[in-house]
Amino acid sequence: MYETIPADELKTVGRKSPRVDAYEKLTGHAPYVSDMVVSGMLYAAVKQSPHARARIRSIDTSRARELPGVRAVVTGAELDYRVGLYVVDKGILARDEVRHFGEAVAAVAADTLMIAQQAVRLIEVDYELLDPVLHPLKALEKDAPLVHPRLGDYSYMEAAFTPVPGTNIANHTKIRKGDVEKAFAEAEWIIERQYTNPSVQHVPMETHVAIVRWQPNDEVTIWSSAQSPFTLRNLFCTAMKLPHRNVRVIVPYVGGGFGGKAGIGIEPLVAVLSRLSGGRAVKLTASREQEFSLLPCRSQLTYRIKTGVSADGRITGQHMTMYWDSGAYADYAVNVTRASAYSAAGPYEIPNAWVDAYTIYTNKPFGTAYRGFGHVEFHWGIERHMDLVAKVIGMDPVEFRRRNTLKAGCRSLTGELIRENTGSVDKCLDAVCASINYGSLTKQEKERQKRTGMKIGKGVACFHKAPAMPPFTATAVILKMNEDGTVTANLALTDYGQGSYTAIGQIIAERLGFAVEKVKVAFDCDTDREPYDWQTVASKGLILSGNAAILAAEDLLARAYDVASQALRCNQIDLAHDGEKIYVKHHPESAVTFRQMAVGFAYPNGNGIGGPLIGVGRYIAQGLSHLDKATGQGNPALDWTYGAHGMIVEVNEKTGEYNILKVGSAFDVGKVVNPDSVRGQAIGGMMQGLGTAVCEGYIYDEAGHLLNPSFTDNKIPTSVDMPLEIECMVVETAQIDGPYGARGVGEHPMIGVAAALGNCLQQATEAEITHMPMRFEDVWRAIQKREPVDNWITKSPYGSCKSSPQVQGHHPELGC
Amino acid sequence: MRKIRLRINGDLYERDVRESKTLLHFLREDVGLTGTKEGCGAGECGACTVFMNGETVNSCLVLAVEADGADLQTIEGETAEDGSLSAVQQAFARHHAVQCGFCTPGMIMTVKDLLQRKPKPTREEVIHGIESNFCRCTGYQQIVEAVLDVTGQLPDSEKEGLKYV
Amino acid sequence: MLHDFAYAAPTAKDEVFSLLAEHGTAAAVLSGGTDLLVNIRSGIARPDYVINLKGVSELAELSFDAGQGLSIGACVTVTKLLADATVRQKYPLLVSAASQLATHQLRNRATIVGNIVTASPCGDMSSPLLCYGAEVELASASGTRTVALQEFITGVKKTVIRPEEIVQRIIVPTTYVGGSGNYLKLKRIKGHDLGVVSVAMLTYATKIRVAIGSAAPTPLLLSEFPIDASAKTIKQAARAAISPIDDVRCTKEYRAFMVEEFIERLLAEVHA
Ligand SMILES: Cc1cc2nc3c(=O)[nH]c(=O)nc-3n(C[C@H](O)[C@H](O)[C@H](O)COP(=O)(O)OP(=O)(O)OC[C@H]3O[C@@H](n4cnc5c(N)ncnc54)[C@H](O)[C@@H]3O)c2cc1C
Ligand code: FES
Ligand code: FES
Repeated sequence: MYETIPADELKTVGRKSPRVDAYEKLTGHAPYVSDMVVSGMLYAAVKQSPHARARIRSIDTSRARELPGVRAVVTGAELDYRVGLYVVDKGILARDEVRHFGEAVAAVAADTLMIAQQAVRLIEVDYELLDPVLHPLKALEKDAPLVHPRLGDYSYMEAAFTPVPGTNIANHTKIRKGDVEKAFAEAEWIIERQYTNPSVQHVPMETHVAIVRWQPNDEVTIWSSAQSPFTLRNLFCTAMKLPHRNVRVIVPYVGGGFGGKAGIGIEPLVAVLSRLSGGRAVKLTASREQEFSLLPCRSQLTYRIKTGVSADGRITGQHMTMYWDSGAYADYAVNVTRASAYSAAGPYEIPNAWVDAYTIYTNKPFGTAYRGFGHVEFHWGIERHMDLVAKVIGMDPVEFRRRNTLKAGCRSLTGELIRENTGSVDKCLDAVCASINYGSLTKQEKERQKRTGMKIGKGVACFHKAPAMPPFTATAVILKMNEDGTVTANLALTDYGQGSYTAIGQIIAERLGFAVEKVKVAFDCDTDREPYDWQTVASKGLILSGNAAILAAEDLLARAYDVASQALRCNQIDLAHDGEKIYVKHHPESAVTFRQMAVGFAYPNGNGIGGPLIGVGRYIAQGLSHLDKATGQGNPALDWTYGAHGMIVEVNEKTGEYNILKVGSAFDVGKVVNPDSVRGQAIGGMMQGLGTAVCEGYIYDEAGHLLNPSFTDNKIPTSVDMPLEIECMVVETAQIDGPYGARGVGEHPMIGVAAALGNCLQQATEAEITHMPMRFEDVWRAIQKREPVDNWITKSPYGSCKSSPQVQGHHPELGC
Repeated sequence: MRKIRLRINGDLYERDVRESKTLLHFLREDVGLTGTKEGCGAGECGACTVFMNGETVNSCLVLAVEADGADLQTIEGETAEDGSLSAVQQAFARHHAVQCGFCTPGMIMTVKDLLQRKPKPTREEVIHGIESNFCRCTGYQQIVEAVLDVTGQLPDSEKEGLKYV
Repeated sequence: MLHDFAYAAPTAKDEVFSLLAEHGTAAAVLSGGTDLLVNIRSGIARPDYVINLKGVSELAELSFDAGQGLSIGACVTVTKLLADATVRQKYPLLVSAASQLATHQLRNRATIVGNIVTASPCGDMSSPLLCYGAEVELASASGTRTVALQEFITGVKKTVIRPEEIVQRIIVPTTYVGGSGNYLKLKRIKGHDLGVVSVAMLTYATKIRVAIGSAAPTPLLLSEFPIDASAKTIKQAARAAISPIDDVRCTKEYRAFMVEEFIERLLAEVHA
């Protein structure tokens, strides 16, 4: 929409504009759910399983119930509900069996948090330990214990997913394009390797928190630190069998989400506690430790890639197998699997492709959406693999990429035609190569090597991602003119930090021709007041809500013009407007102000016309389709955002210690709406990607206990961990159906960072690293070519870290 | 319960408080100053940073009773009487150094303390100065730029930020 | 949320002693609280009685005299130590380690004595204090006794401290004043982190003193080396002394490797 307006004619879009939420946040006034108290409120605490898998023989809650101040105690046996986003596989509390360490087995609501916690300690659970299944590949073995023996009885979203009852497979997505076997037979090279990464935590600085009041008349109010109020309401109503009109979800300011708050979390549990307490509001705030095991994480991935390459360095065929470790419940992991399957090759043309992507249940905390939705994990594999292939065939890794990038005329894995306006991978790649002076060392870099004795390596990684969403995803914006001619926008896309409201405000101001100060985008999403939005996920917010905002502005203007044409007694076509008024083009002094029309225009004699000016914008994704279940062919992508990272790293070849000297990142964002917001997403995402690449990861012992559920042993990057230099670049290939040509960039900066680092390390030291995170010790092991110790940390096969260079390449002549 | 008297942002408070209550929870629950946030409760994240007798502390690791007689400053005391933003807050706003905002109050306390100790910190010193405070959203860069800008040290070449190619 | 406990903030040592005598192991002494409160929150410590030492003004004293050396009172914070000109001048190794301990906010509360009493293998202050030959002065109603730091820490989180005692100060003798040294600490990120493994090295006149953290149940002081000792000799001695473990932070293999690497780096600094 409006992609063709020249940048210099835009007054607000594309220009610097302060964040709309800055004052509230900078002064500490912005209310988060964690700050809120509701009258009569009780506090909840949760009893969690210390075991990965166990039968619950009995739960004795009698001592907890006797504690003064305890108002409700609940166990799974009393709760006959199932919840689930795509596969309805989860109870509100564990029933009969616990399926992961940290799973909720009982909960208490009490007058104070201290009493609630005390009561939880008094609950006694008698467990019969069962052998857990912890590794996804083990879970696929014939005699593996079943995490969900009754998988066949569960309902699930049939258009998108394929569970396999009698196994631990929660979903199997297939993509079939061309003839891979033939391509392999004709290939000059075939190169195969496997890449892995552990589960990680999102770590929003505000932990999950919800307050729920379930009144005895079944009217429910939920205040939640959640990303998607409508999806939360929908899933809640479905699980609780309540009419949607009865349930109101309110989302005020949210202290970060990154996907971890996208669906439904602790709300149903808090709700049943409220109902059992006679309708008093109940608040549950997850502790930091609970974030790691009570709440979901990002899935572990094992990714096997086999690539056929022609003599001139073109990928002719690729076989890709993804084993997504869902943990105990399917949640978003099945859709992560699906979305990753159709993007699995990265931004490259693969004429013959075969993808099998499995979501596999194990007895671990479950996986959910996390910024990048699978793409961070599988791009680790793909982009390390691109470097491996280039090395094996003796070609420069950037040159090899250039030969294979998606270009206009190519077809994606699902058969979608890539066009000029889809965006340009090549421009991003060129930009980052220039940024890091790829291919050689500068004089300063050479001097630096001499001075430090460290080896400098340069590497790149490309990436792509489309929003993973139903093909018919919809949203709406309502724009209301206030009495003074300012406007207030209501929408249920939430802004939990990413800056969407600032951008939407700019888009509205641009379309209305108003100063941006006249536009308010209202915080506190309330499903009773805001129009529908599917979810705040997938980097689809700016495109869909931005378009709805344009349509709402159009609608408001149309109504205003209607009133003005009557008030000014002229044809609408002869009218024009500025930020204050609508006027007659050929008699500019004949005008009516927006203020005069805002709540209805009154003639001097008191007669009124028009009524309050309200614009409604509805937008639904267009032209998308389900994927064919047998072949994966179809059109799933609203838009593709392409990008690349270039990185410069210095490595101590003896110890594996390294420093990141520079990261240059480029994204084809279509159109920059707010340069500072884009940069904020770019750098914030890149640093989150570095966390994943450098230090983060769940570590388990052989019994499935999570060994590092806190910041003490699960580090996240600090300011000192920033690269020495950061460069953010944008390419603007307008998205024809994007608002002013824009497309999403919220998730993308995180994708590919780890692979770029791995590629740098390899370039500098020949270290073949196939597992992330890359801690100093991993690098050291890889450089030393030490025995690949499976999970050297825990001495169990299920820990977080290993480095196992298993290159399998063969060449007819060289025989390597 | 024990009676404590203390000054917060210049105002005098006298309250009975449970001995086991942390200063963080006292501020948030008993006094109602919820600007100070809890990110971990264990001294790791810095979200709970406040000034106590002129020094920054992690208020999650201080008992409220230990603050008896103390002089505290929290984010709520950062703005002027008329509600206008301090120089640090304004720089944060200018540089989009805020995203979700949850780390922000603690971060501003830390920056304020840094600038009191080192009125013109170098880039290096700013980076080390805010090491104590996790921010999961911004990646820190825009925060560093904001701090350098407060002291007039941000090179012009860095003011543009995003590069169009 | 912390469990309920009683609290006292005595202003005289005698009061502290009588409270300890009365409550015994049910009481915990609170100094900076950066270990104690974390442990209470996680349920590892459940004292019924918390005795804040910070009201006893003499325990906050940090002083130096040429005879006895440096006296670090129980409530001297890491920040206070770092700010002290005498310490900076005479005990550079303490400064090097203290400046790497946690974050600025933490250092404003955390005490040197608390760090030693916690007796964590990764405590940053133990190794440098061992290099300086520090002694620990314990006090109770029945008097004081002094123990060499080496004997004070007996195992992981174990010390010789008795329930009725407190550590009232650490004494760092002047023996090695004039020596130079540095402290290297392996972390998992560049930002604040506990030491995964660490080495302190102090060179003084004709001697080299080396202590190692996180490589054994207690911080280790190696026996003294002559100033011209080779890296090989020191590394050999270190290898023989350490007994690192595998845990979530690191493997014993890499710990052992980095101990030797740090020894080489520190020795190179000495020779530079
Ligand atoms: C986020 C975080 C990061 C940290 N990082 C580091 C780090 O990098 N390096 C490091 O070494 N440590 C680190 N620590 C641990 C801790 O901060 C230090 O050990 C600190 O020096 C402890 O001092 P304190 O005064 O706070 O001790 P307290 O918590 O007050 O006391 C510690 C223990 O000693 C007892 N005790 C205290 N004083 C006395 C006394 N005078 N007599 C008898 N018993 C006493 C207490 O009862 C308690 O059991 C970290 C802690 C946290 C929370
Ligand atoms: S809440 Fe205090 S440091 Fe995290
Ligand atoms: S702005 Fe979200 S954590 Fe810093």
